[in-house]
Parts: sequence; structure tokens; C-alpha cells
Amino acid sequence: MSTQTALLISVLLFPGGLFALAFGLALKGADRRFAARLQGRVGPPLAQPLFDLVKLGFKRTMVPLTATNDTIFLAVPLVGLAAMLHAAAMIPIAGVTATSPALGNLLVLVYLLAIPGVVLMVAGSVSGSTYGAIGFSREMALMLAYEGPIVLVVAAVALRTGMAEGQVVTFSLAEIVRHQQVHGANLFDPVLWPAFLAFVFFYPANLGIVPFDIPEAETEVLEGPLVEYSGPALGLFKMMSAVKAVVVLGLGLALFFPVAPSGPLGLVVWAVEMLVLMLLGVTAVRVGIGRMRIDQAFAFFLKWPLLAAVASLAVVVVA
Amino acid sequence: MNILTNLKTIASRSPWLYRINAGSCNGCDVELATTALIPRWDVERLGCQYCGSPRHADIVLITGPLTRHVRDAALRLYEEIPDPKVTVAVGVCPISGGIFRESYATCAPIDQYFPVDVNIPGCPPRPQAILDGVAKAIAIWRERL
Repeated sequence: MSTQTALLISVLLFPGGLFALAFGLALKGADRRFAARLQGRVGPPLAQPLFDLVKLGFKRTMVPLTATNDTIFLAVPLVGLAAMLHAAAMIPIAGVTATSPALGNLLVLVYLLAIPGVVLMVAGSVSGSTYGAIGFSREMALMLAYEGPIVLVVAAVALRTGMAEGQVVTFSLAEIVRHQQVHGANLFDPVLWPAFLAFVFFYPANLGIVPFDIPEAETEVLEGPLVEYSGPALGLFKMMSAVKAVVVLGLGLALFFPVAPSGPLGLVVWAVEMLVLMLLGVTAVRVGIGRMRIDQAFAFFLKWPLLAAVASLAVVVVA
Repeated sequence: MNILTNLKTIASRSPWLYRINAGSCNGCDVELATTALIPRWDVERLGCQYCGSPRHADIVLITGPLTRHVRDAALRLYEEIPDPKVTVAVGVCPISGGIFRESYATCAPIDQYFPVDVNIPGCPPRPQAILDGVAKAIAIWRERL
């Protein structure tokens, strides 16, 4: 099998593409059902996000008269989904797949992770809607706040692994996973605990989940950047956010806890770890607390997660 | 053809709800928001979800007697909802004007302006009646997909 075919399979089928999409939709379904159970309700079926996607396929796509550019309005969700499919193909599943160097390293992944936020910003501003514009400004403020900590977290892990391996720094995801499989997971390394803490705060913000769903707050700004989207175009956004859940949670597992047996059993263990991370880190939190204001979230991120990430980087350099 | 029918059956399990308050006294809105739909009786098990934007809506729930002040805005909002859609009138006000029927400021019955598919009478309607109305609306919506 040639390299191109292998790359195509990894982006379109497994571990990116169809697999990531199906798994992301299942995670979203589990999230909604678990949230309902915590609130004492029955909740939707597990496949509800899939039903929603099929439904959106039957609806009409409307382009608002206020849109400044129809082509950009319809093209941005495609860009976001494509970036997320590429990112999902890069997520290593410990013991099952390793990242192909041809897809890029950790730095590329950090850039790809910023694309959905940029896509939402462009979508909000191009729609010409007031609510879209508010969503745009909120998304931009939130991104400014959480991009710093995640870059520092990635740098801390890369430095720690690189120095342990005898180089200065390594941005290869495959190498970081291999190092942890030999020397134990980073989660049990006290030097990286502040980085882990910063990551725990980063991922609800990146996934746009309460308390950090400020740009898409449906009760305040009518879902912000998505306010003018309907039908298949909205479906693309839903697909993007499903794949993004897999990418962000998978990145967390790869950086801090890539522990799983090899072979098909490893895939099952990985899926269970992802599910636990989703239900404990996202669902329980979003059911338990309310939404922050944008200024509170901004101040919060510039205080605690940034402090933790800087501390982690400093400790790694000194240790 | 068979696959298309199956897909439509699947699609009909995801009706998203949107509320238009057309000058209601808020009685029906409280029933919709707290008792009848999401928290107490949980229509989410039918796949229903409240959506913030009219562009995402499938089933429109209209409450209130359609006051003259809000009529044009409500009509414009209704136009923003992409097809196929189903219209449900909640409460007695959209049907006859209810206690506001003799007012100079209302335009009830609202079926002069909106193609109403399901009427749910009551002041306010019982939660069970609203659930029944939503279930009927889903059945109609399935035909339109």
C-alpha cells in the first residue's frame, strides 16, 4: 500500500474521517443522555445527534440578504470540517495507531485546533447579523484567552519529553506517546501537573461548552455565529463540532494518559477513556454550573490556566 | 425510494422547537418552558430541542392573541423559518383571542395570518395537552419532509 493511500485512509476512514465523525456523534449523544439523567429526565436516544444531522439534510439552506459574501458564507463550514478531519487523523490511539509524520507534528495540530474558532468568527461576521457580530467578538476574546495556555501546555510536554529523550524538544506526537508507554504516563509526573490543570480548563472552552459557551449562548445571542445558518450548512457545523470533540479529548489523552493495551482491545480501552473524560469533564460540569460572562471568562483564563501553564513550563525547564 | 423513506423516518425523530410569543400573557410560555416541555415531562426523548434561532426550527409554537404591535414582526419571523415547518397554536388566545377577544389591539384568530396545523386550546393548556399537540405536529411534519 502506497503512502498516499495510507494517508487517504487515515484522513477519510480511520482514525480520522468516518470513524472520528461516528465516534464524535456517539460522544455527543452520550453527553446529552447523561446530562438528562443527571437532571432526572429520560433523555434522547444515543443516536440523537445522527438523527439531527439527517434532519438537517432535508431542510432548506437559506442565505441571508445581509450576508456580505454568499460564497464565503457557504464555504466556511467546509473549511472547518476539513481542518478537523485532518486533525482527527493525527490523533494517536495508543497501541493501535501512531501519527504519520507526513500529516504534521504537534505544532500543526495546535494550528488546526484554532481553525474552528476562526471559522466561527468568519461565519458570524459574514452573515451580517447583529447576533453573529456579537458572537464573533466573544469568540475572538475567548480565543485570545485560551490559546496562550494551550500553546504553553503543549510546549511543556514537548520540552519534558524531549529532555528525557536526550534532545532539547520534540514535537512528534508519536514520540511523545512512545516515551510515555515506556516511562509511564505524564499524568503521574508531578512536574506536569500544572500543565494538566491548564488543559482541563482549556478543553471545555475550546469545545464551547458551559461555562465557556459564551460565543454561542442560545439564550443571550441566539447561538451567535450560527444564527443565520440552516439546513445542510448547519449540519456541517454540527459535524465539525463532533469531530472536534474527538480531536481535543484525544489530544488530552495523547499528551497525558496514552495507556492502553495494543490491538482491538486497545481501541475499546481508548474509547472508554474518551467517554469517561467527556462525561466527567464536560457533562457533569455543564449540568452543575451556569454560564460565565465573557469578561469573567477572559479574566479567569488570563489568571489561573495561564499561571498554571507558565508555572509548568518553568518547572520543566528548571527540573 | 425505500432508503429515502427510511431516512425521512429517521429525520422525523429530530424536531426542533421554536417559540414565538405573539403578545401572550406569559402563562402559556411558562407552561412551555418549565412544565410541559423540557424539564418536567422531557420532550427531549422525542428528539425535541429548543433552538435559539428561527433558522434552526422545525416546529413553531405560537402563543398569544397576536397583538397589532407585534403582528408584522411575528410574520417576518415566521418567514425566516426554513421549510418544511409545522405551526402549532398554543393556548386559547391564538384560536379566538381568549380574554382579549374584545380588544381593539389584537388580531386573533391568528389563522388569518399563519397556516395553523395544530390547535392546543386551554388557558393555559395542560402539559399533557401540549405534549399531545407536539406529538401530532411531529406526525404532520413527517408527512411534509
